[in-house]
Amino acid sequence: MTLIIKITITAVRQSVPLLVLAALVGCPAQKPGADAGVDDGGTAMNRSQVLTAGGACVLSQAKAFQTTAVALERALKATPRSFENARTAFHAAMDAWQIDEVMQVGPASSSANLGGGDIRDQIYSWPLTSRCAMEETLVSKGYETDIAVQLINRRGLAAIEYLLFYEGAATACPAGSPIVSGGTWAALTPADREARRWAYAAAAATDVRLRADGLVQKWEGGFQETLTTAGPSNAVYKTQLAAINAMSNALFYVEHDVKDVKLSRPLGLRDCTTPPCLELLESQYAARSKANVKANLEGFRRIFEGCGPNHQGPGFDDLLISVGAEALSTRMVAATVKAEEALTAIEEPDLNPALTADLASVRALYDAIKAMSDILKTEIPSVLDLEIPNSLEGDND
Amino acid sequence: MTEQGLAPKDPAALVAFRVVFGLLVTVSSVRFLAYGWTHELFAPYRFTYWGFGWVPQLSQDGVKGLFVLLGLLGLAVAAGLFYRVAIAALFVVFSWLQLIDVSNYLNHYYLVSLLALLMAFMPLNAAFSLDVWRQPALRLEAFPAWCTWLLRFQVGTVYVFAGLAKLNSDWLLHAQPLSIWLTARSALPGMEHLLDVRAVAFAAAWGGFLFDSTVPLFLIWKRTRAVAFVVVVGFHAATWLLFPIGMFPIIMVTSALVFFDSSWPRTLFRRAAFVVPEAAKSSAPRWAVVIVVAWCVVQLAVPLRTHLYGGDVSWHEQGMRFSWRVMTREKNGSVTFVVRSPKTGREWHVSPGQYLTRVQEREMAVQPDLILQLAHHIGEVWRAKGEGDVEVHADAVVSLNGRPAQVFLDPTVDLMRERDGLIAKKWILPAPMTEPIVLERRASR
Repeated sequence: MTLIIKITITAVRQSVPLLVLAALVGCPAQKPGADAGVDDGGTAMNRSQVLTAGGACVLSQAKAFQTTAVALERALKATPRSFENARTAFHAAMDAWQIDEVMQVGPASSSANLGGGDIRDQIYSWPLTSRCAMEETLVSKGYETDIAVQLINRRGLAAIEYLLFYEGAATACPAGSPIVSGGTWAALTPADREARRWAYAAAAATDVRLRADGLVQKWEGGFQETLTTAGPSNAVYKTQLAAINAMSNALFYVEHDVKDVKLSRPLGLRDCTTPPCLELLESQYAARSKANVKANLEGFRRIFEGCGPNHQGPGFDDLLISVGAEALSTRMVAATVKAEEALTAIEEPDLNPALTADLASVRALYDAIKAMSDILKTEIPSVLDLEIPNSLEGDND
Repeated sequence: MTEQGLAPKDPAALVAFRVVFGLLVTVSSVRFLAYGWTHELFAPYRFTYWGFGWVPQLSQDGVKGLFVLLGLLGLAVAAGLFYRVAIAALFVVFSWLQLIDVSNYLNHYYLVSLLALLMAFMPLNAAFSLDVWRQPALRLEAFPAWCTWLLRFQVGTVYVFAGLAKLNSDWLLHAQPLSIWLTARSALPGMEHLLDVRAVAFAAAWGGFLFDSTVPLFLIWKRTRAVAFVVVVGFHAATWLLFPIGMFPIIMVTSALVFFDSSWPRTLFRRAAFVVPEAAKSSAPRWAVVIVVAWCVVQLAVPLRTHLYGGDVSWHEQGMRFSWRVMTREKNGSVTFVVRSPKTGREWHVSPGQYLTRVQEREMAVQPDLILQLAHHIGEVWRAKGEGDVEVHADAVVSLNGRPAQVFLDPTVDLMRERDGLIAKKWILPAPMTEPIVLERRASR
C-alpha cells in the first residue's frame, strides 16, 4: 500500500507539467468552428440529426408502402375481378417497395444485422423465388389455409407479380414434379387457373399487407427511438457509430443488389453462361426491372441526400458537409445523378428489350452504378469512419 | 556487456510478467470462443503469408480446438507448469493461428508471438512455479539480467517504431487519420463538441507521436518511470475507450511492466527484499550472445525494410506488416476482378464478396499482395470451370486518409502473370500526391 501511495504521489508530482502542457495544447479557449453552424443560415448537421431524419424517412416510406399494400389487397378482393386494377395497384406497391429496398435498417433487414427482423424477405424475397413452387401451391391451393406458413419463395410481392402478370398455360416445373407427372397442372382449365391465380394473389396480398403493418408497428413501437437514442444503454446500438453504420449499410443495396445482381448477371458479367441472360432479370412478368432500379436510386437519394421534396432535408450529404467534406458530398450526389441519367438514357421501356437491342446502354448504367459504389465503399467510410457490419477489432492496431 | 547481461536479478518481476502474460492469452482465447470469432475470422477462403503457404489449414472445428488448447497453455504458463513445453507450444499454436489467414493480422498478435518465443528461452519457471514445486532442483535464486533486457528491448521496439511510423506529413501536419477517427466519435458522452475540434486532433496526433517515440526512455529511467507508467495506462485507456482495438491496450500496459524494477512485486506485496545470492551468477556461451544480438538486429531491420521500397508504405503496403505501424492510416478500397478469356474474348466481373467475408474483403481491398492472391484463386476457379488460361485484372480504387479515391493497381496488368515476393511490385500505382482531407465542423446547407 505504501508503494502505491508513493507511486501515486510521485506520479501526480511529475504529471503536473505534462497536465499543464496538455491543457494548453489540448483545450483551446475557443473551439475553432464552434460558431460556424449558423453562418450561412443553415445548421450544422450531426450524426444524431441524420439518424433522426433517416429514421423518419424510413418510417414514412414504410407507411407509404403500407398504404399501397392496403390498396393492393383491396384491389385483389374487389368484385368483379379486375386484373387491370390489380396490376395498377401492384405497380404502385412495387414502386413504393423498391424505394424501401434501399432502407433496410432494423426490422426490415436481415436478422443477421443489429435489430434485424427479416421483414424484407417476407414482403419481397427476390431473387429467392421459384415459379415452380408457386405453381405447385396454385395446384394444391396451399394459399387457402395459412399462406404465412408457406416458404418465402411462394408468397410476397414476387408471387403476386407472377400471379397477376403471367397468363401462359405452361408450367416451369420439371417432368418429375408431382403437378406434371400427376397431370394436375394440365388438368386445370384456363378459368380454373385464373380463379386460383386471383385467390392466391389475394391471399398473398393480405399477407403482404400484414407484413407492412408489422413493419410500421415495429418502427412506431420503438425502433425509431432505438435508432435515435443509440448509446451504451441502447439495447440494439451500443454506439451512435453503430447506428450510423446500420443506416449506411442499407445504402450498399445499390452495390450488392442493383449492381451485382440486378445488372451484372443479366449483362453476363457473372453467373451467366451466354450473355445476355434475360432469365436472370428482376421482374420477369411485370416487365418493370428498369422501374425498379429507378426506384432504388430514388431510395438511395432519400437516405443520402434527404427525404423531402427534391431530396431536401437532412441526409448523409449534410453530414459530410458539416465535417468539411463538401467536395465528397458533391461527388457522391453527382455520381448518383449520372446513374439516373444512364438509366434515363436507356430508350427501351424495360431492361429486357434493352439488353437485346442496346446492351451498351445497360452496361453504361452498370458502370455508372459501379462508380457510385466505388465512392460508397472507399471515401465515405474513410471520411465518416464507418465500419463494416459486426466488425471486430480494429485493423490498425 | 556479457557480464552485465548475466548479472543476477530478482526473479519476481519476470515471474509476475509470466503469470499475467499467460492469463492474458487465456482470456484472449476465451474471448475468441465466447464471441464466436473462430467462425467469423476463419472463413473458408484464407489468405496465406508469403513463404508460409505450407502452414496446415484447419477446419473451423480445428481452429476452435486450437483456441481451447491455447487457453489451457496460457494457464500452464501462468502457473509455471511444464513451462518449457507449454510456452513453446503456446508460441507454435498462437503463431499457427495467426498464420492461417493474413487478413487477421494485428500488430499485437505478432507481439504476443515474439514475446512467447523469447520467453521460451528464459527460465521463467525457475521460481514461484508449479514446476519448482514438482522439481525443486529447477529452482533458481535469481534470473539473469538479459531476460529483462530482451523483453524491454522488444516492447521498446514496438513503441519506438510506432512513433516513427507517425513521422509523416499526414499524421503531423494534417492530423490524419486521427481527425477522421475523433470526429466520428464526437457524440461520445462527455466528448461532445470536443473531438471534432481540429486542435484536439492535432494535440492528439503530436501527443501520440511523442508518447510512442519516447515513452520507453521514460519507462527505463527510474526517476520518470512512475509517471511514464501512469501516462501509459492513461494513453492506452483512452485508445481503448475511443477505438475498437480489442486486447491491444491491455497487452501493452502489461508489457510495460517489464520496465519496472525487478523486485516490484515484492514491494507491492510487502515481501522480504531480494538478496543477491552468492553463487547465482550464470555463464553463457559466446554463441548465445551472438543469437541475442542477431535477434535485436532482425527486430530493427524488419520494420525498417519498408524504406527499401521507397514511396509511401501506407499506400503500397510493402513492409507494412511486422513493422509496428500501429493505427497510422484510414484506408478503404473497392476491388472488382475482371476476368478475361483470351480465347473467347468473354469478360466476367467478379466481386470479392463471392469468396470473402466482409472483414476479409475490407482487408484485401487495400493490400496488393492479398489482391494478387485472390486474383490467382479466381483464375484457378475459372480454369477449373474449363475456361482455360484466363487473364485476371484488378479494377481497384483506394482512398487513403480521406483523399479522393484513386486507382490503386495498374488495371492493364494480368495478375495471373505476377508472383508474390519481396521484390517491389511494379503494378502498384504511385501514391496520391494530394493532401488528406481536412475535416472542420461547419454549417450544412
